[in-house]
Amino acid sequence: MHRTGLSLGIHQLEHTQPSSRLNHHHHHHSTTTASTNYLHTLSSSHLSQHHQDLQIESITMNQFPHGWGRPRDDVYGAYDNSYLNESQPITHTQRPIVTGTSVLGVKFKDGVIIAADNIASYGSLARYDNVERLLQVGTHTVVGAGGDISDMQYLHLLLDNLLIKEQYPADDHQLYAPQVHTYISRVLYQRRNKFDPLWNSILTAGADPKTSEPFLSYVDLKGTTYSAPALATGYGAHLAIPILRRHVADEEAVSNLTQEDAQKLVEECMKVLWYRDARSGVKYSWAIITKDGVTTGSKEIENQSWKFAEMIKGYGAQNI
Amino acid sequence: MDALVSKYGGSDLDDLNILEEDEDEVTSSLPQSVSFILPPIDSPAKFLRAMTDDHTNPSAPIKLKHGTTTLAFKYQGGVIVCTDSRATQGSWIASQTVKKVIEINPYLLGTMAGGAADCQYWLTYLGMECRLHQLRHKRLISVAAASKILANLVYSYKGMGLSMGTMLTGVGHGGVFGLYYVDSDGNRVEGNLFCVGSGQTFAYGVLDRGYKWDLTDEEALELGRRSILAATHRDAYSGGYLNLYHIQKDGWVHHGFDDTNPVFWKQKLEKGEFQNVSTSLD
Amino acid sequence: MASSYLLPHSQPNVHPTTASQPRQHHWSPYTENGGCILGIAGKDYVIIAGDTRSSEGYSINTRTARKVYDIGSGLILGVVGMSADGEELVRKVARKIDDYKRNHDKHITVAAAAVMLSRILYQKRFFPYYCQPLLGGLDEEGVGAIYSYDYVGSFEREQSRAYGAAASLITPFLDNQINFKNQFVPGSNGEEPRPKVDLSKEQVEKIVKDAFTSAVERHIEVGDGLQLVTIVKGVRAEGEEEDEDEREKTAGGGVISEVMSDLKKD
Repeated sequence: MHRTGLSLGIHQLEHTQPSSRLNHHHHHHSTTTASTNYLHTLSSSHLSQHHQDLQIESITMNQFPHGWGRPRDDVYGAYDNSYLNESQPITHTQRPIVTGTSVLGVKFKDGVIIAADNIASYGSLARYDNVERLLQVGTHTVVGAGGDISDMQYLHLLLDNLLIKEQYPADDHQLYAPQVHTYISRVLYQRRNKFDPLWNSILTAGADPKTSEPFLSYVDLKGTTYSAPALATGYGAHLAIPILRRHVADEEAVSNLTQEDAQKLVEECMKVLWYRDARSGVKYSWAIITKDGVTTGSKEIENQSWKFAEMIKGYGAQNI
Repeated sequence: MDALVSKYGGSDLDDLNILEEDEDEVTSSLPQSVSFILPPIDSPAKFLRAMTDDHTNPSAPIKLKHGTTTLAFKYQGGVIVCTDSRATQGSWIASQTVKKVIEINPYLLGTMAGGAADCQYWLTYLGMECRLHQLRHKRLISVAAASKILANLVYSYKGMGLSMGTMLTGVGHGGVFGLYYVDSDGNRVEGNLFCVGSGQTFAYGVLDRGYKWDLTDEEALELGRRSILAATHRDAYSGGYLNLYHIQKDGWVHHGFDDTNPVFWKQKLEKGEFQNVSTSLD
Repeated sequence: MASSYLLPHSQPNVHPTTASQPRQHHWSPYTENGGCILGIAGKDYVIIAGDTRSSEGYSINTRTARKVYDIGSGLILGVVGMSADGEELVRKVARKIDDYKRNHDKHITVAAAAVMLSRILYQKRFFPYYCQPLLGGLDEEGVGAIYSYDYVGSFEREQSRAYGAAASLITPFLDNQINFKNQFVPGSNGEEPRPKVDLSKEQVEKIVKDAFTSAVERHIEVGDGLQLVTIVKGVRAEGEEEDEDEREKTAGGGVISEVMSDLKKD
């Protein structure tokens, strides 16, 4: 009896309290006496509400020495581990449905090269084979996205609108890669704050039109951002990054890397991904950004050799 | 037309304005306590607990600082308040130098057990309310009234996951001593003697044994100190320094922040207590 | 329940597919990016140092991530934990410190900034920032101050503090080397504690480097580079330009400088 009464009360609290109370205050923000009024209205209205909801005055805090001050199981219910668990697809807020795999980016002395294949997978099905995952934003920026394709397309919509808005003043001011990257990272972080993430890992690549200083940054669905001479999302972070870092370990290596070498390096990495990442495709798009602007192209992986596959034994139902 | 535009225009592009969001409270002079950010989900309390209850789940990602043994008692000469100074995050000793007696104003003290941040924040907030009361009514607030403000306040957050167990004590207008236990469930209890925290039972053991109303100031201070010492000895979550206060008619007086270790050895070697601890290895 | 968006000022964001039905929200908004920071306050200086590795799981994301920031008004802030939350916190504090300067026409003191930071953290009491900050600055007497926080804003002024992945490795070392814990006067049979002395900035910088090189040996999430940020009263690092007005006005009169050095990269 005691228990059921209590859990009902708490259940209601969780739903009604936050929205009615915490938002409510905010609207009173501008009144100067709010701090005290707030206290009175808050206390009186909620006391009565509580008496209806709870009926019994409950003790929700553990008073025994060993767990002092912690929530009590018999009031809050058992500790719910699933909030910590990230590997339960069914309980996700959303989950990625149609997905793109890795994006690669490498800085070289005059700019950046970025590449992503054209496959969009539906689980293990290679559902679409001609999807463009690189988007040119303005004159000197390219954004490449991995993860959920619909979220990527929504982000493309945002970026298009951002550019249109930026045109209105006609003040010759332009958005370049650092600004675009910051914008995307703010959007992604705000969405994670709403527990409604855009399920993407994104590389923003660009070059400064005056100094030709290369720019390359990463942001993901939780708003985590970082920069490095070479970046890769998804499987690329595991398969391509070790190869890329061997050639461009630091900024000094970047200033010694030519565009031709950078292109070869990306080709090599895309091939490795094609061999081992089951969600990758044979055709990919690339873009090179220098101070002169963006050059884009499409390529198929050449000189394939599956010889190494013959050596591999031990997977699946093999009779050898 | 404008209404139509605002209703339908760009509603799917809310994220475009994302940078303007959250630019709040900057110029506001109001205390920030009036708005808290919640996780936008059905059960914020469950989420918070999953992330922070390191007692049930030692690998919970966010380990908040927790305080531990605190005591306060009234006697003929006023009120004694004594605490340890250890803060733990799980089994990690996050600090040995926590000030668990919060000086709300020259007449009021609050003790800290449970969530360190909850106690610091709400007792500071209470300090503001007490000052406002004083300005409005031209006299000191009573401890009874102050404790009720605090109790009502935390009660309104009941079930949200606050964790605090505080003793609010001091001297109010007319020189009346007050001692109240207030916790985050909304309990508010008046009494002569309280121990709060994971080491409370050990402190009670010593305090009950030596407590009487007619203690001299010297005896009372020593009893407070000795009770916390017992708790730091037996409770792993208590330790550090002994923080001792005496509240008199004209406000509180601080009686030191002393390392427990030398106090323990002095107690053992000079008074022959703690015979359970041997001084040799055989 | 219809509106589950409770961020102040935000209108319920009508999402085409998910507006009306209840959603399952068992997705963790948190991640951990490793790394370690360390702050030490001296008689007339403050140091906050951090490694520059940023990782997630077993992957090293970058070897050049700064964790210590100049937040204006002669103050520095180190953050460790989830870098996205940390950077958000830094932005917010820096903006508020700037606002303070504009509103009051003077620089904020480190003590006031410490309270401000506590309030910012507590505002997210029910959806905490997953990061632990260290605030550094010179107080109004020009004495070094380090303020350490837990995730939801409890704070304390301290002599030294390590936060992050290797905090449990570095803290005992600092207790011993900075606060002389468990050090005794030779010949006193362990009864007379070694008296406290003010360590010089040069001595402390050595201790900081030792702490990090040792932590790198034993913790996989720490390494790559060391970012050492110091605030010193009135003295300017080589090559920096003198800005008399700016220095006069900051509450502690401190000047911030940064030195980068290498740590092991394996």
